[in-house]
Amino acid sequence: MKRLKKENLAPFLEEMNNKRTVYCPQSVDEKDIILAPLGKGKITDEACKTSISFKSMLFPQKEEINNFSKDGVEKILDTGKTAVFGVRACDFRSMEFVDAFMARNEMKDPFYFAKRNNILVMTLACNCPVSETCFCTDTGKAPFLEKGFDLQFFDAGSFYIVESQSREGDKVLESDYFTGSDSKDGETLSKIKDNSMKAEMQAPGFAKAVEWLKGNEPEPEFWDDLATACIACGGCSFVCPTCTCSNIFDSPSNGGFMRFRTWDTCMYEGFSRETSGHNPRGSLGSRLARRYLHKIKDDPENYGVSGCVGCGRCSDACPVGLGMIEIIKQINRI
Amino acid sequence: MTNSIDEFEDASVFMVIGSNTTSNHPLISSRIINAVRQRGAKLILCDPRCIDLAPLSSIHIRHKIGSDVALINGFMNIILNKNLEDKTFIEERTENFEKMAEVVEKYTPDYVSGITGVEPELLVKAAELYASTKRSMIVYAMGITQHIAGTDNVKSCANLAMLTGNIGTPSSGVNPLRGQNNVQGACDMGGLPNVYSGYQPAADLFVRNKFEKLWGVDKLPEKKGLTVIEMGHEIEKGNIKALYIMGENPFISDPDAKHMHRALKKLELLIVQDIFPTPTSEFAHVILPAACFAERDGTYTNTERRVQLSHQALPPLKGTLPDWKIICEISKRAGFPMDYNDPSEIMDEINITTPSYAGITYERLEQGWGIPWPCPSKEHPGTKFLHKDKFTRGRGLFHVIEYIPPAELPDAEYPFTLTTGRIRPHFHTGTMTRRTAILDREAPSPFLDINPEDAKSLRVRTGDKIIVESRRGSLKLSVNVTSDVPKGVVFSTFHFKEKNINELTLCAVDPVAGIPEYKNCAVSIRRS
Repeated sequence: MKRLKKENLAPFLEEMNNKRTVYCPQSVDEKDIILAPLGKGKITDEACKTSISFKSMLFPQKEEINNFSKDGVEKILDTGKTAVFGVRACDFRSMEFVDAFMARNEMKDPFYFAKRNNILVMTLACNCPVSETCFCTDTGKAPFLEKGFDLQFFDAGSFYIVESQSREGDKVLESDYFTGSDSKDGETLSKIKDNSMKAEMQAPGFAKAVEWLKGNEPEPEFWDDLATACIACGGCSFVCPTCTCSNIFDSPSNGGFMRFRTWDTCMYEGFSRETSGHNPRGSLGSRLARRYLHKIKDDPENYGVSGCVGCGRCSDACPVGLGMIEIIKQINRI
Repeated sequence: MTNSIDEFEDASVFMVIGSNTTSNHPLISSRIINAVRQRGAKLILCDPRCIDLAPLSSIHIRHKIGSDVALINGFMNIILNKNLEDKTFIEERTENFEKMAEVVEKYTPDYVSGITGVEPELLVKAAELYASTKRSMIVYAMGITQHIAGTDNVKSCANLAMLTGNIGTPSSGVNPLRGQNNVQGACDMGGLPNVYSGYQPAADLFVRNKFEKLWGVDKLPEKKGLTVIEMGHEIEKGNIKALYIMGENPFISDPDAKHMHRALKKLELLIVQDIFPTPTSEFAHVILPAACFAERDGTYTNTERRVQLSHQALPPLKGTLPDWKIICEISKRAGFPMDYNDPSEIMDEINITTPSYAGITYERLEQGWGIPWPCPSKEHPGTKFLHKDKFTRGRGLFHVIEYIPPAELPDAEYPFTLTTGRIRPHFHTGTMTRRTAILDREAPSPFLDINPEDAKSLRVRTGDKIIVESRRGSLKLSVNVTSDVPKGVVFSTFHFKEKNINELTLCAVDPVAGIPEYKNCAVSIRRS
């Protein structure tokens, strides 16, 4: 366990930036906090919710994956060293989910893992909910991590208490910016953790809904009613840190062509349409059912991890109030 | 829009007429959806088709295409007979009420039912609901304007709002939803045949003198210019020899495409300025490649009249220039040097020439999220909703409007009514959206919506090919059988260049605005 003075956060990240490209939440105007490489705006030193999670670093909205030229096919693997600071516990858990998904059937997605194997993740625990739509504790998880991380920062006022759980993390803590911890830091840490668990946040009744869904499913009419509100924008998927659906397309490039992978969403009609024109998810209601049920019913069964980490971004983004919080509440009303 | 978008939050009744809001203005639609689902606001939907808003409507009126004037006159007849009109508002704020009321007398529920095909009881319910609050909003789009009676339809909406005093206060008004991100701005800047910026009439000597002085030129033309459709006719007659098109694809978007084809081919000089090649640019002698929105600075004026600043995010592609620079270069070569260093200097000139934009400066736009006009001075905060206390012309004028039928009604030879519009994944002629892999996947090919009963009598199923034919042309299309369209009506879109639905539409136009009747033409259908 070590300490880092908050005033030393920026110099520390700058120092690290010499070895790895460092991303962190930065405010670019009064409203928006974005995750970007250092230097885009003012570094946010408190836990905060970026509008898009750091999933976009590992699985970008649009990426080049293959270059087809007369010399053959080149697989484009981005193996640049990166680091990210300020990842919250919920977002870290989403990465664990995406890891499992991208390695399913023992077939590892090369484009994802090229980036994943070269990223150093520095998480920052939340002392209290960072937005009105946070509900990680309701999903049965804590606003901090118990295991699996390299480095976890805790906000202790004027300084961070920093834990390492890996050799990579230990190496980082060798930097001169970190100082030894105080004998009281352990106690402070327990207090921060206790308080963060007690902090009031959204409590739609996640566990109750998940339990009910084990033996039941809402009737199609339930989803059809929600579909009268849904405008099928796909925003819920694009901001979701565990959504991994993608599309592939080719575009002419230097006499050959480039193959791109982009985000996609199961909320779109064409996503599940078959070549014959038949669509097993033809109605918007059935697509809503698929999206939400697979997160909280199928994913836990298939991957042993919940497809929802309680970040609340879908509830932030949805223009018609159909995020996970609202869906859980509605299911619990059945 | 007379209102601002945020005012949707407090409206009690929405009358959506001729707007497929969820498809074409999804975020504005989300305001209506939330109002209905979350706080019990009421929706009167007047649309022949079952659009996405239909399940949320309290009343869905599926009137015959092109019968809007009769429908609204019918509402007014009911409101007057039930004494639901706002007498104080009529007295204090309007004129010509009696003459309007006299004509409306004829439009009894039974009479209107005969024209529109709507049950009289439903008409009464809708009229009563609209008149029941002072927070009723009319929302319309191209379903109102793209008719030969388009101007009449708009005036009818204004009549109805004035009759019930539903205008000039928060959350009550008449709200045309603009179909493009800056079509409001283009019109505001005088992109019309008869006005200078800020709708200052070119026929007005005082206005012409003002612009002559400001621009240092002699004798600005006093004659009204031509509308797009008129230009097509004049090219065919040989009166126009050169055409300069910017950011428009009339070969696909204009009615009667064969006519447009002849016209474009006849031109001695066609210049097309756009960000991508289009079917129209294939006719061009000169193509001027323009920079796209992300490659330039500028402002956009959205549907609520809000002028918003947009900054360049990327350098323009090699060989392209922002539109304003292209225009300046052309002007310089034509002998009238326009020297602006950047768009903010153009805005400085707009501030001087255009009273409604006088106080909208780049400096102010940098500070916030835009300013809605009218904004007459640098101290003025902008205007949330129009016509508070006073209309632009003083008193609001009730127009006397009689119903006229559409130009081309179905008959024995062409028994179906074709109506056209847009669907969610695509924008207009698809020159941008059809280049985007996922959007094109969402709607990869053209189709014709047809009612199940009609499909049955034609013996076609979804996916079958049919020939749809009008007096102007014919197309082979896949059918999509759906009760979203009423019996006798078929629907298609103008997104697909490979099957251009505008080969079938007709050039009949509204006599005032010149807008073509895209929403109604007669067609026949047979199995392919």
